[in-house]
Amino acid sequence: MSEKTILQIAGLYKRFGDFTALHSIDLKVREGEFLAIVGPSGSGKTTLIRLFVGMDEPTDGTIWLRGQRIDTVPANKRPTCMVFQSLALFPHMTVGRNIEFPLKVAGVDPAQRRERALELLDLLRLPREYYAKRIHQCSGGERQRVALARALAFDPEILFFDEPLSALDFRLRKTLEKELKDLHARTGKTFVYITHSLEEAMAMSDRIAIMRAGRFEQIAPADEIYSRPVSRFVAEFMGEVNLFPVRADDDGVIRADGLALDPAVAARLGLHAGEAGTLMVRPENVAMVNRSDAGGAAPEITIGGHLRAEYNLGSRLQYEVEGPSGQRLTVETLRENRFGGAPGDAVTLGWTLDRCHVIHGD
Amino acid sequence: MERLDRRLGALTATPMLVLLGLCFLAPLAVVAGFSVMPSKVFDLWHQPDFSAYAELLRQGYWKSLAWSLGMALASTLILLVLCWPLAYAMAKVYRRFTLILTIGVVMSLFVSENIRLFGWVLTLMKGGLIEGYLRHWTGTGFDGLLYNMPVIVFGLVYVYLPFMLFPLAQGISMVPDDARQAAADLGASRARILWEIDLPLAAPGIVVGCLLTFVLATGAVAESKLLGGQAVIVIADEVETAFTYGQDWPLGSALAMVLIAIVGAIAIVGVNRVDLDAIMGRRR
Amino acid sequence: MEPSRLSRAGLLLYGILTLGFLYLPLVAVGFASVSKARYLSFPIRRYDTGWYAEAMASDTVRDLLLISLKVAGLVTVISMIVGFFGALAFARYQWRFRGLFQKLILLPIFFPQTVLGLALLMWFNALGVVPSWHTAVVAHLVWISPIATLIIAIRAYSFDPTLEEAARDMGCSTLQILREITIPLLMPGVISAGLFAFLLSWGNFPLSLFTTGADSTLPEWLYAKMVAGYSPLVPTVGVLSVVASAVLLAVALLAPTLVRLWRRNAAD
Repeated sequence: MSEKTILQIAGLYKRFGDFTALHSIDLKVREGEFLAIVGPSGSGKTTLIRLFVGMDEPTDGTIWLRGQRIDTVPANKRPTCMVFQSLALFPHMTVGRNIEFPLKVAGVDPAQRRERALELLDLLRLPREYYAKRIHQCSGGERQRVALARALAFDPEILFFDEPLSALDFRLRKTLEKELKDLHARTGKTFVYITHSLEEAMAMSDRIAIMRAGRFEQIAPADEIYSRPVSRFVAEFMGEVNLFPVRADDDGVIRADGLALDPAVAARLGLHAGEAGTLMVRPENVAMVNRSDAGGAAPEITIGGHLRAEYNLGSRLQYEVEGPSGQRLTVETLRENRFGGAPGDAVTLGWTLDRCHVIHGD
Repeated sequence: MERLDRRLGALTATPMLVLLGLCFLAPLAVVAGFSVMPSKVFDLWHQPDFSAYAELLRQGYWKSLAWSLGMALASTLILLVLCWPLAYAMAKVYRRFTLILTIGVVMSLFVSENIRLFGWVLTLMKGGLIEGYLRHWTGTGFDGLLYNMPVIVFGLVYVYLPFMLFPLAQGISMVPDDARQAAADLGASRARILWEIDLPLAAPGIVVGCLLTFVLATGAVAESKLLGGQAVIVIADEVETAFTYGQDWPLGSALAMVLIAIVGAIAIVGVNRVDLDAIMGRRR
Repeated sequence: MEPSRLSRAGLLLYGILTLGFLYLPLVAVGFASVSKARYLSFPIRRYDTGWYAEAMASDTVRDLLLISLKVAGLVTVISMIVGFFGALAFARYQWRFRGLFQKLILLPIFFPQTVLGLALLMWFNALGVVPSWHTAVVAHLVWISPIATLIIAIRAYSFDPTLEEAARDMGCSTLQILREITIPLLMPGVISAGLFAFLLSWGNFPLSLFTTGADSTLPEWLYAKMVAGYSPLVPTVGVLSVVASAVLLAVALLAPTLVRLWRRNAAD
């Protein structure tokens, strides 16, 4: 991946009647990267991708591809290509003719088209006999690969994906996620992938852009988004999380409801006088500290509560604890560290400072 | 894309709009024009008056209109009852037979209405298929079943059966099975399921079926002429007579306008209640 | 909720009886066409195919067939084209007057055909056009092309619009999309619309009655004879007309199978 920008958008707006789907969006996509755009449904991600490939026109703002403005170029003249959620494979054509389609439109001669289609079948690890198969004879995973092969045949500058895996079952989705990541590495193309599933984004992408209500909340590598989210929305969107409102008084004293916080530790949270924030800690970073065999570093922040329930998540166990002001807290631990308490038991939860993160602002 | 859609929509609608504008709306305007001309003229360059409408009231044409509407209503209701079980079976019970029945019914539509009604004449007349064989086997015959009002309704029921059957079947197929199952699970009786689940959910199909049948039957003429003899004169027949034997285009036009107004009002009100996209199986 | 065996059997019987009810009059016509007697009365005592020979030899019948064929042929071709584009405007594209357009298309189907025929007669008169079989084509089109539109629209509704978007994304122009994607995918609908158009035009009488002028189609001639009193040629020509449409229908239904067989043989 280079630092060169391949796609850039600035001040992009899209309105449908009274509804504003995109509010002044800015984004730079780097050459060769795998960028995932993640957001709940209705956050504007599909609208955004349709503007990228030219199926809709922006209300305002510009899109540059390698420094050239493309927002006024119609879809059929843009060197980008999209893999649709529905895949949009042509049901009246064979697999081979589907893959060859962009080459046919570009005027490539039949022999060359066929050769390229067979190469792409190899690349996607589909048997060459599939060339003559009909689309309805292919399984879900095979169709997925055919759609990818067709998009690659177009040889786009950037390949866009609109949740193509969302209709598949869990296991197939996991396999294809790995294949897609592998394909990205082998082709060296720029991939921009839209999904509502964070897991999918984490599994494949170099960077993740979190969208909410027509704006980007945070654009960063997956690890950073997971451990240092910039907002409560991102923190909660990225999976289970414990959040505690914290506030520094004007005289610098830090108040956190129910948390036992040593003043020396509190000073290191990085809150300025008069500032409010949210302390975030992921369930797997929380330990039950009243166990004799707690182990690990001594907790710097603790909170008391009562055990409510234990859930078996397979490889891990999850505990639900009711905090002092009735809030719901979550703890996750590996199976072998089972707590073994009964509902109603008093417990103390604790974690170290370097495992939590403060989100600034309300 | 929306802008392109808008342009292509208008573009692709153009041939049809030209056809309907020139050969449907324009002729209707001509009919409207003639209906306000003085009696027995053959062009539109006269002082408009409403003498044709006045004539229409004086001559008691409302009787024909009432007959047409009444028989159309009767045949619509009969068809609704007759077709419901069949449509239900097509949508939910039959498997392969649905296709056979569909093909069979559609093919019957391709035979000219005249020939089919003529077939009924041959079947029902004195010495026809029914009476002839009855006399042959039992020795006693009857006078034939033709030339009365009920046989016209029978003819309407026969001719418009497909127009009720297919929309009904389409409507019933839109009723999800799990809704009926859930209702049954919650203790609803068969009658209750019909009333609370089937009828409301199949309503678009019922509306379209009744509308088509009623409107087409109101304007029908061949049934009364071939099967009914002169038992009842229907409104479309009066229109035709005014134009041909009567040679009174304004009177015929005024009669046609009344028929158009009634049929058009019913059709427009009905069509507005139905989501065409949904009933025709729209995907997005 | 599965219906019982008994009610299933009852419904099946009901369906079969309905089919019988629909076709019973044609059976009567069929018997009548082979009765030797000049004045028909059941049961038929002597069967004879003489009326068929007479009908075949008749110049009138040949002219009627020819005119009906010309009208139906032209109506088929034009309504397939108009209906194809009409269906796209009806079902596929989101444009401002789509709702209005959908309702406008339904109006001629609902319209009393006799009145429509008369209205067209007056319109042609006002334009100074002399009615002939050409004007009958126009009259049929007003009723049949909306039906063709609806038939193709059903197909257009089940068609995934992202297919066209995908093709555009890969560089297709609007015309290329039409040729490569839209036409092939809507073709089955267009063909069945064409079949409907031909058969409906072939059997139509109320529209032809006032708009053919001096020419006459088969159904018109049959009607004139029926109203005038019994003629043994009526059932005969009626049967011939039904057989002609049945043959066309059979060919149309079998054609895809035959083409597939032929292709398979050619491929071997």
